[in-house]
Amino acid sequence: MSSFDLTEDQQDCLQELINVAMGQASDQLARYLDTFVYLKVPSIEQVKSEHLFETLNQDLKATAVVSQGFFGYEGIRGEALLMYQPQDSHRLADLLGYEADELTFDEQIIDLSSILTTTFLNVFASQIDNQMSYSAPRLLSANQGTISEHLNQQSFNWDLALKVRISYQVTDYSFNCDMVLLIPEEAINNIKAVIDRILEDF
Amino acid sequence: MLDELCINISNRLNTGILILDNNYNIIMWNRFLQVHANKEDNHVEGKSVFTVFPELPRRWLERKLSSVVQLKTQSFCGWEQRHHLFELSHSRPITTDSHFMAQNCTFLPVEVEGDVERICILIEDVTDVCHYQTQLNKALEELAISNRIDGLTQAFNRKHWEECLAKEFSRARRYQHDLALVMLDLDHFKLLNDTFGHQGGDMVLIETAKTIDKLLRMGDLFGRYGGEEFAVILPNTDLEGAEEVAERIRQAIAKSAINHQDRRISVTASIGVAVIDSDDSRYEDLISNADTALYQAKATGRNRVCLAKEAVEI
Repeated sequence: MSSFDLTEDQQDCLQELINVAMGQASDQLARYLDTFVYLKVPSIEQVKSEHLFETLNQDLKATAVVSQGFFGYEGIRGEALLMYQPQDSHRLADLLGYEADELTFDEQIIDLSSILTTTFLNVFASQIDNQMSYSAPRLLSANQGTISEHLNQQSFNWDLALKVRISYQVTDYSFNCDMVLLIPEEAINNIKAVIDRILEDF
Repeated sequence: MLDELCINISNRLNTGILILDNNYNIIMWNRFLQVHANKEDNHVEGKSVFTVFPELPRRWLERKLSSVVQLKTQSFCGWEQRHHLFELSHSRPITTDSHFMAQNCTFLPVEVEGDVERICILIEDVTDVCHYQTQLNKALEELAISNRIDGLTQAFNRKHWEECLAKEFSRARRYQHDLALVMLDLDHFKLLNDTFGHQGGDMVLIETAKTIDKLLRMGDLFGRYGGEEFAVILPNTDLEGAEEVAERIRQAIAKSAINHQDRRISVTASIGVAVIDSDDSRYEDLISNADTALYQAKATGRNRVCLAKEAVEI
């Protein structure tokens, strides 16, 4: 167990915060998108940089990936990756409430990514009396190749990250995607401090 | 005091700040926008953003802004998706060819006691980034082309041509399609070089490549295989069809005379033709079959077409 590992209490507390945030985010998204949005039980784990692909890749062959950075008070920051399978994405404009000719496919997934990421993180932030700011979402690569092909050419300058993976399902539009929040090592301690404060109050 | 400082700073920022109320009327903008929109304050404040900037895609932007208000969250629009939203001048008017400012826009909800009462739009000038990215993309495209093309003849180079053959070969195998290969070698090219010099030889290669290229269909893949050796991949073509193409190429080359320094150079070609057959497990087999036929054509008098099957039987 590394010094960055969460204790069982910390893990439970984070899980609970995320569950509540997921519920509220799902509610807000449903109202905005005018359809039910299901969020599957999240997985929380720590990943080493060399194992990131194995934990992301799994069965995803062709994937579009959108990255968006976030930061709040108390040193909380990280990067959100939204991953899409092309076969799930053909009715996105419809889902988002745009006319299909108003925006390109790239813009649709960037737009949706931003909505999913910021909605979830805003609610999460309010749970911990925080407030998030975001970088512009960026399409790392459109529907071609695997995630590892998009990212493999880089050597990372981090070793450990906290990984939270949440799956979104919009059944009316047979749409699925995965959101992976990655919090780098230095920020994990900051998150732990926030969690400890909440646990004390509790 | 702090208000004054904020206004002072906001007017000196190299970023546009535009604040709208819930009905999309403009409450405030900073100097950056005033200058680049080239409009006066009193024609702008209190007016709808869609009146002041009629170029905005209204339906799309209203939906976008509704997400900001309803979800109380930031939203973005980058230059790579939309070059610009607002028609503004920019900071590289002299040294780039961009008419309007390329923009990254951020839409921020401004909450008052939990409700979004205003929307703040931040507009960054990324004309510079856009300019260099466009140049980079152009350079990469040119590089990709020069990586595929033989500089002298403008046919595909050997490496790219072989990659094409490998792809066509496996496609033909997978879908049980025909695939033919035509390989040709100019006759007595060394003698021609000795007689007319290397410039004469180069001229022959260039003109021969042009002659062949004109006879091909879309989808045929034409490359320079070696010094005076060319090769054509004919997808979905059987032996008979390929022989016809080869014969047409042979005749066209033999007929054309090339003018070089007041002399006329004539040249002929020997051609080998092969088609994919069930024994070929690798694309290299197809090449060596066509090659065998080509040497057969050379051995039996040159300026003729030989088919791989014949070559094997002989």
